[in-house]
Amino acid sequence: MSTVLDIKNLYKKYTRKDAFVIRDVNLQVSKGELLGLLGESGSGKTTLLRLIAGFEEPDRGAILVNGQVVVDANVFVAPEKRKVGMVFQDYALFPHMDIQKNVCYGLHGYSKEEIKDRVKEVLKLVGLQSFAGRYPHQLSGGQQQRAALARALAPRPSILLLDEPFSNLDVVLKEQVREDLRNILKRTETTAIFVTHDTKDALSTADRIALLKDGHIQQSGSPKELYNKPSNIYTASFLGKVNIIQALTKPGGYESQIGFIPCNRANGTDQKVTLAIRPEKLAPCSEGHSDLYGAAQLITYQGDHQLITLQVISGKSQYKLVIKANSEVKVSKGEVVHFRIEEDYIKVLDTCWYPAAAEQSPLEKVVETTEKPRT
Amino acid sequence: MLLIKRGDAAISRSRRGLKRINIWVIYALLIALLVGTPLATIVYFLFDGPSDTWKHLSETVLGHYVANSLLLILGVSAITLILGVSTAWVVSTCNFPGRKIFEWALVLPLSVPTYIIAFAYAGITDYTGPIQTTLRNWGLHPDPSFFEIMNLQGVMLVMAFVLYPYVYVITRASFSRQTRNILESGRILGSSPSRTFFSIALPIARPAIVAGVSLVIMEVLNDYGAVKYFGVSTFTTGIFRAWFSLGDVNAAIYLSSLLLVVIFLVLGLERLQRGKARFDDNSPGSKPISKFKLSKPMQAVCVATCFMPVFFGFILPTLQLMGWSLDTAYKVVDLSFFRLIFNSFSLAAGTAMLCAFLSVILIYAVKINPTFFMRVLGKFSVMGYAIPGAVIAVGVMMPLLFLDKSLTTWLQNSFGITMGLLISGTIGALIFAYIVRFLAVAYNPIDSGFKKVSDFYTEASRGLGVAPLATLWKVNLPLIKGSVISAALLVFVDVLKELPLTLIMRPFNFNTLATKTFELASDEMVAESSVPALIIIATGIVPIIFLSKWISKT
Repeated sequence: MSTVLDIKNLYKKYTRKDAFVIRDVNLQVSKGELLGLLGESGSGKTTLLRLIAGFEEPDRGAILVNGQVVVDANVFVAPEKRKVGMVFQDYALFPHMDIQKNVCYGLHGYSKEEIKDRVKEVLKLVGLQSFAGRYPHQLSGGQQQRAALARALAPRPSILLLDEPFSNLDVVLKEQVREDLRNILKRTETTAIFVTHDTKDALSTADRIALLKDGHIQQSGSPKELYNKPSNIYTASFLGKVNIIQALTKPGGYESQIGFIPCNRANGTDQKVTLAIRPEKLAPCSEGHSDLYGAAQLITYQGDHQLITLQVISGKSQYKLVIKANSEVKVSKGEVVHFRIEEDYIKVLDTCWYPAAAEQSPLEKVVETTEKPRT
Repeated sequence: MLLIKRGDAAISRSRRGLKRINIWVIYALLIALLVGTPLATIVYFLFDGPSDTWKHLSETVLGHYVANSLLLILGVSAITLILGVSTAWVVSTCNFPGRKIFEWALVLPLSVPTYIIAFAYAGITDYTGPIQTTLRNWGLHPDPSFFEIMNLQGVMLVMAFVLYPYVYVITRASFSRQTRNILESGRILGSSPSRTFFSIALPIARPAIVAGVSLVIMEVLNDYGAVKYFGVSTFTTGIFRAWFSLGDVNAAIYLSSLLLVVIFLVLGLERLQRGKARFDDNSPGSKPISKFKLSKPMQAVCVATCFMPVFFGFILPTLQLMGWSLDTAYKVVDLSFFRLIFNSFSLAAGTAMLCAFLSVILIYAVKINPTFFMRVLGKFSVMGYAIPGAVIAVGVMMPLLFLDKSLTTWLQNSFGITMGLLISGTIGALIFAYIVRFLAVAYNPIDSGFKKVSDFYTEASRGLGVAPLATLWKVNLPLIKGSVISAALLVFVDVLKELPLTLIMRPFNFNTLATKTFELASDEMVAESSVPALIIIATGIVPIIFLSKWISKT
């Protein structure tokens, strides 16, 4: 598949004194791909989008669209010449034009007939045929977004950028919009990047996710890859609840202070490793099936399942561990729960995101349950 | 898929270093250059060293000018402060009959130029004027010197009555921005209404009040007509005298530069007092101040507080002018009078459109090149409003005269053509001077108009392949139409009122309503001057109400 967008070693800072808001970003987007740019607020996602669109200038690095340099050390192509479409967070539909005029706005160099056809086509695509004559303020939030999408799609941009497309919508609408957006983009084979701070949006909608932290891409890959095979603690915890356990590799498993975790993949080299295990990969079981256990400390009922926080006591130290159980399991506070770990889903992290902290406490603080950082 | 045409992007590529210098930067630079001319001229001529006349002036009358100007500033500031703040407080926090009407009526005196109120009051208090005549008819014979207002104190008072709206409008905006919560928390903590005023509301409004007073000071220093009519010598009359009576431009320039020092001092102090503290409470959901409920006598006091300045600043002088115009209209209104109106209105309209046009370009240039340099350039270009008309006239006239001289010499030498002055003393020169002075008047409302419109519209448009100029035309201008029109309107009224600049820069035998009014009044034909004066006032009323609304919104 051909590469539509190619970002090479991109750096950006706003003022001389500031730290870089974009640090050494490398990113490729293939034709027809839908990339989710995920990160907490202030991580630089919107800046990256604006750099691609040409509303900001990078300090270093290059951006290529369809193989053509749009910005590097010598070249700067103005935003209006880049053929990059953008849907703004607040849609930015021109309030003094009706929807038809808004959609026409970006169509240059076509005959009147062609423009008319194209407008009809994209309005139909987003399901707003009958709203052509309305003004933006006469539309609902979801309709405004679809109108903005139609406007951005009309000139057939090489790549479409969507800034927080789901943030202004209520929960009920959101799911519908995610589905619609994905359908429309797939049907038109549009290459697109959308920015979001919501993990669920990214997991459910994107073909591929790039996770941004402090202006740097932590990891990029398919939603499943990022969820199941995070490369560091930050990625692991950003995408959902996770138990982080430090351990030593032994033959047939990992020796940790919550006990011995059996795993055939582990080699017996006595290496220090950090393990990431999602709560749903820890399941309660009867006493005989596992040597791992802890005392239930907090039980939160979630409807279709429940999360149980276990206190694992090992020597003088205590550790917390979250396991997921189906809602039928009856557990009361203080009860000892045995659990086992699905060994296929034990992920050994490549690097530790908090190296300093890890060095301070090699094995003392064995288990830590990290929750997704609030944004 | 639309293919990106090969080479398409290449055409638009430009060297990165030069990219910043796009055409808009050049437009902005040109405007700044234009507007910066007068200031540069004055600084340039300062290096010529003082002339003999200047030495003579500085030994004899300069002290007098300085003293009068400073006393005038102090006096007018003090009176406008009291009038402006008290009316603003009463209107924004008390409930009394007619409050809604006073809210805008208190701005009306702003439509009366200082020179017009000066001669209106001279007429009112004159021996043959309505007050003394009435008293004599009642058989009283008061001492005429009691009514003598043609002095420094007199000019202070009459100017204050038309300038206090500057303080009133800005302070009222500040009071109404103060949230109910702040004032109510003061009262719950046991403050009386008066203590709430002095310990909470007033300190919070201080920057607004000072900003209002500094506008008043600018107007006082700009005034020529009122002080001249009342025979008070100030910097401004000094500049006129040095230039036209003594024929010494150098002395005029020295006076101008001294005046500029005073102005920049005032501006500097105003900036300084703002400091770093934040006085405006912008917390969302803030509700307007709930009005104090007052007893009947207190309500009467409120009504009196608001009525007094409106009466003395607007009603009384306008009535006097109306009285005079009934007597003289048949003499004044003829063909040449319509010519006069046409002159004034077309001049004002032309300047207004040019100022709005240049402001849009300047602001848009800063918007699409948001660098520190461009922002400074923008601020620099609107400095003219702080500079008195007479000073601008000196600064514009000198380079134009120089240009004229070189042009005529060149024509004489190369073609043997003898010409008079080609540039100075033309309508073009006059409009140029107006633009220098009034660009800020258009700039500020248009700038705030732009600020209210999200930057995303501009970006959305450019993202859809539309270049900056077309974006300005198709997206920005339609969205800020209202601001542009109001900006032009404000310039229109200011040009119509402007006296000193017009007096100096106008072409020979060219009159506007303002110059005609002043000429007639100065030639002992005060009654005849009332008709053009009334037209100036009437034109000023509409946009001034508009202005008050605009300021209270922003």
